[in-house]
Amino acid sequence: MSTLQTLQDILVREYRLTHEQVGPEAVLSTLGLDSLSVLELMFKIEDRFFLKIADNTPTDLVTVSDVVRYIDGLLALQAPVASAAQTPVRASV
Amino acid sequence: VNCRVAITGLGVIAPLGDSVDALFSDLIAGRSGIRRLTSARSERLRSPIGAPADFDGAAHFSPIRLRMLDRVSQLALVAAGQAIADARLAFANEPRERCGVSVGTSMGGVVTTDEAYHSMYGEGSERVEPLCVVAAMNNAPAAWIGIDHGLTGPNLTYSNACSSSAVALGEAARRIRCGEVDVMLAGGAEAPLTFGVLRAWEAMRTLAITDPIDPATSCRPFSRNRTGLVIGEGAAFVVLEEWQHARARGAHIHAEFSGYGLTSDVAHITRPTVEGQGSAMRAALRSAQLDPGRIDYINAHGTATSQNDAVETAAIKEVFGERARAIPVSSTKSMHGHLLGAAGALEFVISVVALGRGTVPPTMHLNAHDPESVSHCGRSCQIPSLSAAPTLYSLQKRLTMSAARAFNSLTL
Repeated sequence: MSTLQTLQDILVREYRLTHEQVGPEAVLSTLGLDSLSVLELMFKIEDRFFLKIADNTPTDLVTVSDVVRYIDGLLALQAPVASAAQTPVRASV
Repeated sequence: VNCRVAITGLGVIAPLGDSVDALFSDLIAGRSGIRRLTSARSERLRSPIGAPADFDGAAHFSPIRLRMLDRVSQLALVAAGQAIADARLAFANEPRERCGVSVGTSMGGVVTTDEAYHSMYGEGSERVEPLCVVAAMNNAPAAWIGIDHGLTGPNLTYSNACSSSAVALGEAARRIRCGEVDVMLAGGAEAPLTFGVLRAWEAMRTLAITDPIDPATSCRPFSRNRTGLVIGEGAAFVVLEEWQHARARGAHIHAEFSGYGLTSDVAHITRPTVEGQGSAMRAALRSAQLDPGRIDYINAHGTATSQNDAVETAAIKEVFGERARAIPVSSTKSMHGHLLGAAGALEFVISVVALGRGTVPPTMHLNAHDPESVSHCGRSCQIPSLSAAPTLYSLQKRLTMSAARAFNSLTL
């Protein structure tokens, strides 16, 4: 699963949105996620991508693809801390 | 200016019912919403009973919205929505700055706080939900009601323990009385059935012992075999409206809010005094310009603790004298439990409905009556002094009194 697909999966499962709603260009605030909800989304991202996200999350994440780029940037910097039993999510190309 | 205050809308989400009609018919039938709790860790409680509201927020709010709303705000929003619908009030046609919100809650978003503490202290998590503060803050229910309905007038939250929502109603009525606003959405909400909260109340030795045969009968206000209170959850709201404003739009007026009295015992932080309760009742009667002979029903605070009920009985006798034996008195907490900060509003709504229908809900499980006591209704009864056909005129003549007492304060 690519970063985009995994993120879309989180959005669909956790926020009961449809796949059609969460395309790459979808605007988070339009989906109902305000800045505090985006911070909360970061928790889900940490758990799912085995990442550690610092407290100073960027505030310029506007669309779904902005979040994908942010996750990919972190994945490139942080070696995934997954256990052997779990398959780390790969960065999309 | 001394405007009259009309009650034009009622809404409840409570143990026993998610509407005013459902709640009232259960109360009249003497059904109890108190039961054994099945929530997480409740098996660790000495007396694992409560009066939960049969309410699922997911049926009312989207998942994104739900994450911002503690259970207390969910309950408040739905009950307030019912009251607005009942009043048939379209805020779009109103000057919004003359419409406000007044909410009482004792413990606020305690479900959120409890979960966050469990995660941090219990599980050693370093993460706290970013929505924790907005969900947990005591003024969240009032804030959300204001936002959802676009009410830009005063948005107030009162936290005075068990009289919180009685104060919220009374203070809202005062703002209408003095001409400051036209409409106030006033009420209370409480969602205290968490392990942490129940454990704390248990530690204070105030909770009822679970009845071994039927847990639903564990709360026995005014009965000599009472063992304490049972905590419940829910919300109750009313639309209070300036009288002419209500008449001008042809609103159905359930009753008139005629008076409100507020005093402080300053004796002990938890133990009430007869003098304090008496002076609050007299203050309410003065505010309504009524003498005690005009009261047709008293919905008592009646928590079923040994302290409260004895003092309350003495205070009613002191204020009403001989008439204390004639006025029907009941504590509906025997069925819906003690909703703490929401108790005053819930029991106010029950009193308004009792007044309108001329029927008093009983004090249930009153099986060891104290002969020295006042006129407690062991079963539902007609308000003796009322005519059968309720008209606006007779409604105005019908008067009820709803009592709410808090730790170190007292209101009516």
